[in-house]
Amino acid sequence: MGEATPGDTGPSRARRRRGVVLWQVGILLALIAGMKVLNMTSGDLVMPSPEAVLRQSIEMWADGTIPFALGQSLTVLGLGFVLAATSGILIGILLGGFPFLGRVLDPYVNAVNATPGAAFIPLIIVWFGLYAGAKIALVWIAAVFPILINTASGIGNANKDLIEMALSFGARRRALFWQVMVPDALPSILSGLRIGAAVCIVGTVIAELTMAQSGLGGLMIRAGNRFQMDRYFAVVIVMMALGSLITVALGFAERRLGRWRMALREGG
Amino acid sequence: MEAGTPPLISLKGVSKSYRDGQVLALDDLSLDIAPGEFVSLVGPSGCGKTTVLRIIDGLIAPDRGEVLVKGRPPEPTYDMAMVFQSARLLPWRTVAGNIEFVLGLRGQSRRDRRARALALLGAVGLRDFADAYPHELSGGMQQRVGLARALAVEPEVLLMDEPFAALDAMTRETLRGELLRLWERRRMAVVFVTHDIDEAIILSQRIIVLRPRPGRLDAEVKVDLPEPRWQTDPRGLPAFAGLRQHLWTRIHAMGREGAALEELASVLGDGPAPARDTDRHR
Repeated sequence: MGEATPGDTGPSRARRRRGVVLWQVGILLALIAGMKVLNMTSGDLVMPSPEAVLRQSIEMWADGTIPFALGQSLTVLGLGFVLAATSGILIGILLGGFPFLGRVLDPYVNAVNATPGAAFIPLIIVWFGLYAGAKIALVWIAAVFPILINTASGIGNANKDLIEMALSFGARRRALFWQVMVPDALPSILSGLRIGAAVCIVGTVIAELTMAQSGLGGLMIRAGNRFQMDRYFAVVIVMMALGSLITVALGFAERRLGRWRMALREGG
Repeated sequence: MEAGTPPLISLKGVSKSYRDGQVLALDDLSLDIAPGEFVSLVGPSGCGKTTVLRIIDGLIAPDRGEVLVKGRPPEPTYDMAMVFQSARLLPWRTVAGNIEFVLGLRGQSRRDRRARALALLGAVGLRDFADAYPHELSGGMQQRVGLARALAVEPEVLLMDEPFAALDAMTRETLRGELLRLWERRRMAVVFVTHDIDEAIILSQRIIVLRPRPGRLDAEVKVDLPEPRWQTDPRGLPAFAGLRQHLWTRIHAMGREGAALEELASVLGDGPAPARDTDRHR
């Protein structure tokens, strides 16, 4: 481990990655063992036993409880995210492309962005009710601002050298904007999307807890209220997996689409 | 100027200042460049070399004076192209895509762009790298793409802003040769900014020496060395040594003056000092 030199050879890097995975599996086993110990010393209410959680998981997947709830949650999450992404990128491009507009609206954007999404719940309930529409609205309002702000700042901070180059070759405003500034902002837009997706997950669960109970959030709070901790844990595990999956997928997309950036950073 | 060939580029009494007039970058500069002429601008830093290029290209307008390119006020359009110190390629486009980008800006049809980009890459020896991304190329290759991109628009004026300064000595040497060969073939006017005296003598037909703070004309030197110079290296000739000596003495004298001014400015403090400097010069 001492030879972490930049001139890494393939095999040693592969060996280190294997080491990481080994440790990760070890920690997982330790957590399960910890659950078991806590369950035996303090009882089912404090910590359900790992077997019980596994049994409940299988049962809830088999009888359709979790798939149905997952479907409800994914609908809210997916629609909220798609709406937030499209409107956030569009408005962000607008604010980035018209700096005057961006400067004028800056305090308002910041004010709404700084407000926790949950603060809008009463208003959203009055406007949209308690069901899917209202939940999607909550997810949208929580996620749209990080996407919008990242997009606008990515365009605002587009590479001045490339802009001058394009101008010297006679680029007009439209070509300059769409062919230089927006592509240059792509990595920044993507990291906005990644933050937005994380916010969407939080927003979905909050909506499912505070509005009409539904989806994974609803399932979780119902199990919790009845002290069915094994059921509760089975749902939490699904949420964890869902969140990780989305983050990994977006990180992957970010690396692929922004690979010239990565290459610049690595290649020096 | 009615008689004889009119100049391709003509600057008359051009002044330009930055920071609301606090820093005078160029002061009363006049300069004519003929079609097909290779002119170098040399001088210590702060003499406004890059500003001259930007003004010729129409990227910035002078505060005073007149700039004409082909008898019209300049605009960064059809007749001019710029090569920068760093290649400034779009990192998300391939090498060919970068050339197609400027051809698109000049309104060429999508079908013609690809063929033309490949032809130009062939001219700079990078045809095999057409589909590579800029970050996969070395600095010298990137700069070659920058040159190909500029040539793609068939400029009558090629503006070059220290294009070889960031490259290693070997690559620099090769690219100078290539530039001379391309110039020989196409005979566009070249305005070449450099701080490298040897480079200026090797490449150009005429050298314009600028003085710093504020930038103004110091001397014009004709380079009477045999052409084509990419075949025979002029550096062994006695005439080369003479020119080199002459130019160095001028620049050294300026450097000493410039250093003195800078020391003075730091003594007087940051704010109004440059303005006072320029006042004295006027």
